[in-house]
Amino acid sequence: MNNIRRMKYSIVFLLEKENRDFFQYVENVYRTFSARWDVEVLIIANGKGGFLRNLLKGDHFYPPNIKAFDMSRRAHQAVCLNSVIGECSGEFIVVCGSYQQITISSFEKLLLSVDDDDDIVSVWRQDRFDPVFYRMQSDLFNMLVRRITGTSMHDLSCNVRIFRRPVLEKIELYGNMYQYLPVFAVRKGFKSKEVKCEHFKDHGEPREARAGFYRMSSYVGRMIDIFTIYLNTSFTKKPLRLFSYIGLLFFLTGICIFGFIFFQKLFMDQLLGNRPSFILAIVSMIIGIQIVGTGLLGEIIIFTLGRKKREYVIEEII
Amino acid sequence: MDLSVVVPIFNELENVEPLYYSIRAELRKLPISYEIIFVDDGSDDGTREKIREMRKTAPDLRLIALKRNFGQTEAMAAGFDNASGRYIITMDGDLQNDPSDIPVLLEKIREGYDVVSGWRKDRKDTFLRTVFSRMANFIISLTTGIKLHDHGCTIKVYEAACIKSLSAYGEMHRFFPVLASMTGARVTEIPVKHRPRTYGASKYGFDRVYKVFMDIFSINLIIRFSSTPLKGFVFLSIPFLLLTFCFCILTLLAWTYDWTYGKVLFFMIASVLNVIAAMHLVMLGILGEVVVRNSDLSHTRLPEITRKSIPIFSDSNE
Repeated sequence: MNNIRRMKYSIVFLLEKENRDFFQYVENVYRTFSARWDVEVLIIANGKGGFLRNLLKGDHFYPPNIKAFDMSRRAHQAVCLNSVIGECSGEFIVVCGSYQQITISSFEKLLLSVDDDDDIVSVWRQDRFDPVFYRMQSDLFNMLVRRITGTSMHDLSCNVRIFRRPVLEKIELYGNMYQYLPVFAVRKGFKSKEVKCEHFKDHGEPREARAGFYRMSSYVGRMIDIFTIYLNTSFTKKPLRLFSYIGLLFFLTGICIFGFIFFQKLFMDQLLGNRPSFILAIVSMIIGIQIVGTGLLGEIIIFTLGRKKREYVIEEII
Repeated sequence: MDLSVVVPIFNELENVEPLYYSIRAELRKLPISYEIIFVDDGSDDGTREKIREMRKTAPDLRLIALKRNFGQTEAMAAGFDNASGRYIITMDGDLQNDPSDIPVLLEKIREGYDVVSGWRKDRKDTFLRTVFSRMANFIISLTTGIKLHDHGCTIKVYEAACIKSLSAYGEMHRFFPVLASMTGARVTEIPVKHRPRTYGASKYGFDRVYKVFMDIFSINLIIRFSSTPLKGFVFLSIPFLLLTFCFCILTLLAWTYDWTYGKVLFFMIASVLNVIAAMHLVMLGILGEVVVRNSDLSHTRLPEITRKSIPIFSDSNE
C-alpha cells in the first residue's frame, strides 16, 4: 500500500471484565496495527480481583513493547485514561475495551480512515447482533444525546475509539465522562468522525441469554448523564438563566393561584383562610424563590471561581 | 505596542476587507504603534481563508482562529489574552462602527480614564430594538450606578491592564464597564457614529430580551454581593422572615381567641413554610461565603490600574 505512514499508535486496552479471549484479542489488534505502523500496547486492569494477574499466568502471545497497569481500585474509565496518558508515546491513542466489539477487518478499515485532520474517530457498529429490543433502547439513547447536544454521534456505547493526543490532554477527564467524550470534544471544537464498522459477535458476554431490559440503575444513570450533558453544554457559564426559567415558572404559578383565590375572596365571598390552594400558592412561590436563589449562588460561584477558566480553544494564531 | 484593535468576526466574508483597510487608514494617521487582531469565531463561509490571504500583504494584521463558534464574549477574551497593546479597542465586525471614531476614543482615554465606551447617539436600528435597548440601558445605569447611555455598544477602548484583569466570561461583554468599575476603573462615554447594517439581519427576540434582563439581575448581585454573599442572601430572606413573623402572630391570636381549628393549622403551616424559605436562603448565603472565602479572592482586590496617578488636567478641564 502506498499510504503507509510511520506514526506511532498507542493502543490502550481497558480491561474491566474477565474475558478468556482477551489476549487473543490483543494479539489480533496488535498484528493488524503493527503490520503498517509502529505501535505500543498498554493494558490497564481496572477492577478488583486481580484478573489481569490471573490472565497473565497463562501462556500467551505478548506484543514486544507492552506495558500493563493495575488500578488499585475500580475507577471510572476517564480516570484510567488520565492516569496512563503520560505513559503513551503515540500520536494517536486507540482505546479498546475488554472484549472485541468489531471485527478485525473493521479495525483495518478504521485505521485506514484516520486522516490528518481528524481528532476523534469513533465506531458506528452496523448490523448489530444484539437483540432487537436492546438495539432499540440504544438507538433511542443515542438519538436523545444527539438531539440535546446537537452533535452527530450514533454509537456512544461502542468501546473502540481513536483519539489524537491533544484531545485527551486538553479536555479535563473526570467522572464517567469517557462515554460521552466525543460529545465534549466536539463542543470544544475538535473534529470528530464516525466510521461504520461490522459488529463482531462477541463471546465474552452472552447478552442474548438475558431478557430485554438492563438493570434499573443503568436507566437512571443514563437519564442523569443526559441531564448532566445538557447542563454542561448549555448553562455552566450562565446558571441563572436555567434556574430563573424554572424558578419563575413556579413563582408565577403561585402568583396565579393566589390571584385566583384572592379574586374569589373579594367578589365571591370565599374565605381565604381555610383554602388548601392558599398553601399551594405560598409553597409554589417559595420554591420559585429558592430555585432562583440557587441560580444566584451559581452565578457567584462562576464569578469567583470559574471566571478565569477559558472556554475558547484557539486553533491557530498568525 | 501602543494599541491593539480586537475585532470578533463571525461569517463576515464581504466585510473583513473593507473593515481592515478602513481601520488601517485611520491608524496610520496616528503616531502610534498598533496591531489589528481579527478573532475568527469559527466562521464557516471562508472568512478565515480570506483573512489569511489578506495577511500576506498586511503585516499589522493578526488572526486568532477559534476552533468553533464560542460567542462574542469568548472571542473578545481570546483577543484580550493575546493582545500586546497598552490600550485595547474592541469593534464590531459588521462595519456598523466607524473606525474614524478611534482617534476620538483614544484622545478621551488619555485624559485619565480606564474605560471609554462609545455611545451610538443616532442609532440606525429598528424601532423595537432601539426601545428595548433604551430600556435595558436605563435599568443597567440605574441599578449599577454606571451611567452610560449605551452599554451594549461594541466600540470601546480599555486600558489593557484593566480589561485583562476582568477575565471576560459568559456573554458579559455588555457589562465590561460595570465589571471594570468594580475594581475602581474610571468609566466614561463619548458619542460615536453608527452605520446601518449593510447585509444580514440581527436577531432580537423575546429570548434575548429575557437573557439580558437575567444578566442584569446577576450583574447587580455580583457587583454588590460577590465578596459578601451572605449579606445578599439575608437581604433576600427578609420578606420571608417578616411573613413568618406575621403568621406566627396570627397563629397565636387564633390560638388564644379560639378561632376555628382549621385557621390555627393554616397559619401555623404558613409560618413554618416561610421559615423554611428564609432558612434555605440563609444557608445558600453561607454556602456562598464558603465559596468566596475559598477562592483566590482576586475579585475583591483592586488591580494596579487604580493606583496609577491621575493626569492633572482630567479634573481641571471639566
